[in-house]
Amino acid sequence: MIDSLYIAWKYVSFYKARTATLVACVTLIAALPLALELVLEESERQLLSRAESTPLLLGARGSALDLVMNSLYFGDEVPELISMRAADDMDASGLATPIPLYVRFQARGFPIVGTTLDYFDFRDLHIAQGRQMALLGECVIGAEVAERLELKPGDTLLSSPETLFDLAGVYPLKMKVAGVLARSYTPDDLAVLLDLKTAWVVQGLVHGHEDVTRTQDDSVIIKRSDNNVIANAKLVEYTEITTENVDSFHFHGAPDDYPLTAVLALPNDERSGTILRGRYLDTAIPYQLVVPGDVIVGLLANIFRIKNVLDAVILMVGVATALALILVFALSLRLRQHEIRTVFRIGGSRLTIFRLLGAEITIIFLVSGLLCGFAMIVVDQYSAELVRRLVIG
Amino acid sequence: MHARVVFQVILWVLLFTSTLATGQGQVKVYTVNYPLQYFSQRIAGQHADAVFPAPTEGDPAFWQPSVEVISGYQQADLILLNGANYAKWVNRVSLPRRKLVDTSAGFRDRYIRVTVDATHSHGPGGEHSHAGTAFTTWLDFEQAAAQARATADAMTRKWPEWKSDFSRNLEALEADLLELDKQIQMIVAVKPDHPLMASHPVYQYLQRRYGLNLKSMMWEPDEMPDEAQWAALARALGDHPARWMIWEGEPNPQIVKRLQRMGVESVVFDPAGNRLDKGDFLSVMGQNVKHLKRAYQ
Amino acid sequence: MIRVRSLEFRYPGTDFLLRIPDFQVGTREMVAVIGPSGSGKTTLLNLVAGILVPEQGSVHCADSEVSTLSDAARRDFRISRIGFVFQDFELLDYLNVLDNVLHPYRITGALKLTPRIRERARDLLQQMGLGDKIQRGVERLSQGEKQRVAICRALLPSPQIVLADEATGNLDPRNKGHILDLLFEAVQAHGSTLLAVTHDHELLPRFDRTVDFNDFLVKDGL
Repeated sequence: MIDSLYIAWKYVSFYKARTATLVACVTLIAALPLALELVLEESERQLLSRAESTPLLLGARGSALDLVMNSLYFGDEVPELISMRAADDMDASGLATPIPLYVRFQARGFPIVGTTLDYFDFRDLHIAQGRQMALLGECVIGAEVAERLELKPGDTLLSSPETLFDLAGVYPLKMKVAGVLARSYTPDDLAVLLDLKTAWVVQGLVHGHEDVTRTQDDSVIIKRSDNNVIANAKLVEYTEITTENVDSFHFHGAPDDYPLTAVLALPNDERSGTILRGRYLDTAIPYQLVVPGDVIVGLLANIFRIKNVLDAVILMVGVATALALILVFALSLRLRQHEIRTVFRIGGSRLTIFRLLGAEITIIFLVSGLLCGFAMIVVDQYSAELVRRLVIG
Repeated sequence: MHARVVFQVILWVLLFTSTLATGQGQVKVYTVNYPLQYFSQRIAGQHADAVFPAPTEGDPAFWQPSVEVISGYQQADLILLNGANYAKWVNRVSLPRRKLVDTSAGFRDRYIRVTVDATHSHGPGGEHSHAGTAFTTWLDFEQAAAQARATADAMTRKWPEWKSDFSRNLEALEADLLELDKQIQMIVAVKPDHPLMASHPVYQYLQRRYGLNLKSMMWEPDEMPDEAQWAALARALGDHPARWMIWEGEPNPQIVKRLQRMGVESVVFDPAGNRLDKGDFLSVMGQNVKHLKRAYQ
Repeated sequence: MIRVRSLEFRYPGTDFLLRIPDFQVGTREMVAVIGPSGSGKTTLLNLVAGILVPEQGSVHCADSEVSTLSDAARRDFRISRIGFVFQDFELLDYLNVLDNVLHPYRITGALKLTPRIRERARDLLQQMGLGDKIQRGVERLSQGEKQRVAICRALLPSPQIVLADEATGNLDPRNKGHILDLLFEAVQAHGSTLLAVTHDHELLPRFDRTVDFNDFLVKDGL
């Protein structure tokens, strides 16, 4: 067998193009459904476990999916806003503990999640480095944010303007990184978590008397002469909360009216949850109370329906490829008549021919298997990211 | 076999009791002023540790805790707020909302709005203003009792297993507070129109509850008022002939003497917002009542 | 060494008939076989090698009655006793010189590829003047070199009989003589018997004996 493999190896490595084509075909047809399966498994893992661990979610009436995607996975689609009163009312009902969420802004491409400290307990998030946020203007960042932006406690992070030309003239907030969360393998790894009040500062609702701090950073100055200063594009204006100006930050208007994107509701018990759900059934109420698990199960059902179609397509392509491969081998047998005759003449049997062909097929499948395995490792590595990009948005 | 079962049972019992024991020691109630610390400690008894971490000097209403202290609040099991816009720092830090209890929320509609606006400075708290909402809610002992009840309710919700202890302790505290309430009412009832002067505008709820005929200056016990302030007092005394001035703390003897020359005696009614050098909330309030009685004789 | 008696062979479905009443080759004898195209020269070699089986008559070869052996036994016989040299070399492009020479050892269980065999293969190639081309792909060799590789492959198992089928047919005149010299030398050195089919009458004097196939050919209808 070793000898057959040796000769087969010589053959496949001599006819590189043919071998590469075959390997590519086999690899693709094997890797495609496996990769799809992996990505779906990952999306199921990411979506379902988080949805199922979130009992109820309150938000404005509208797309329940957008609401869940934004509140649980910090998707880009911002649902219609509700006000802090929604959380207070829920609190007053005594049926559930509300955890307000304001997921609207971004900082260097990562979602800013304005919430309260209860969120950390609820999601079982722990500080790995630094400390919990304490003062206005501080944030705690997910492990992935820290890694990608190379941030550590004590560093600062600028919020991104909501639109390129922010007519309201709200300057980015220079947030101080108080702590970095331990990796949780959830969307929280990719989040910039801060206090609701700080989120409102980002929006400019809560502000200080000195809104703008002009940079004193010399690195932004290209040239300075007596009557002219040329600055480069790095010059940005931003708000920064310092111990000197923190006292000047104040609420304008009633905090009850301050915006939220959603409220996570943790019912005291099952009965409270049922009563609470009943209360929000009334269509006159501008809120909807959804069960994230149900919404995600619905979404996954759709995804799996698509997956079934894809599976059928892949199966058909697979059969076609298998037929093509058989044809390729059959044709190559014809092309190799001369070689086969030689083998017969120098003493080989029919079995020898089959052994050689078998060894060739084994090598091709082995290499394809290895490539496929490697591809799966890569896909697995990036599946979380893929799911974020493809499913959560 | 038998020995192993026994051993396991013993192990479990040990584990169980040790977790109970450590669990008990860890229950912490943080408050934003001394009265609430006093109330919560009395209600909780040995079940919880009531903590008020502000330094003893300065008015905790205008205090800004350090990050370390905030971290202590964050890790507490319950955080009692006074409400009425007391301790504005609460709005500028991150605290777990679920653990926050506003003890005066029940009488939120009865907060007193203050219109006088003049910033002034005393103690390490820096410049501050009394404009906005009057916050010494506990000087109305009926309100203080309401705050104590809110505290007990919150603790019962959190630790229902200790409900009976909490109710018993609350009953005793309420009785003490209402006794103070009754005493002041009796004192004031004798001379309802008796004019009094207050050195500082912190007695709004006391005044409203007990119908004190009170006017406030903006004086500090340890700062000699300037001549303009003395003149303002003389003018005020013109149409408000008070013979007594109520102070938050023991006033400077020189101020006392000069006041005496104007025919005004000094007496201390300590709001006890911060921790006390000696005595506790009840004893200081008892002292306050005695002092008030003197002002009415 | 080779004895063919009363042999008759017919390719199924054709009118070709090879009939050899008696044909012998002695040990270490070097015999050339000539005859017109299609007269059955190659067929004789295939019968001797056990690739084909006669309809009638017997082929006795190197102490074996080839015509009565089973398929497997004939394969083993062919591998261990016969060295075949073909007109078109029958080398495999995807193997290098050494691997081509060792090829028979890798495709059958009858030959054992030992370090000694490898050593012998190198020696043989050295003797054939290919010592510096052992690792070269055969498609990069000249025609003469290819035939030398094929000769090495045929001689490596030290066969008792070497069958050469137009071994010089594809070579230019200068190479022809040289390759034949090498083949003769190697066959003699191994003490083998040579039965060579050729069209080249110039080469005949160098053989011990020549057999003309015109004597055997019978075509029905003629």
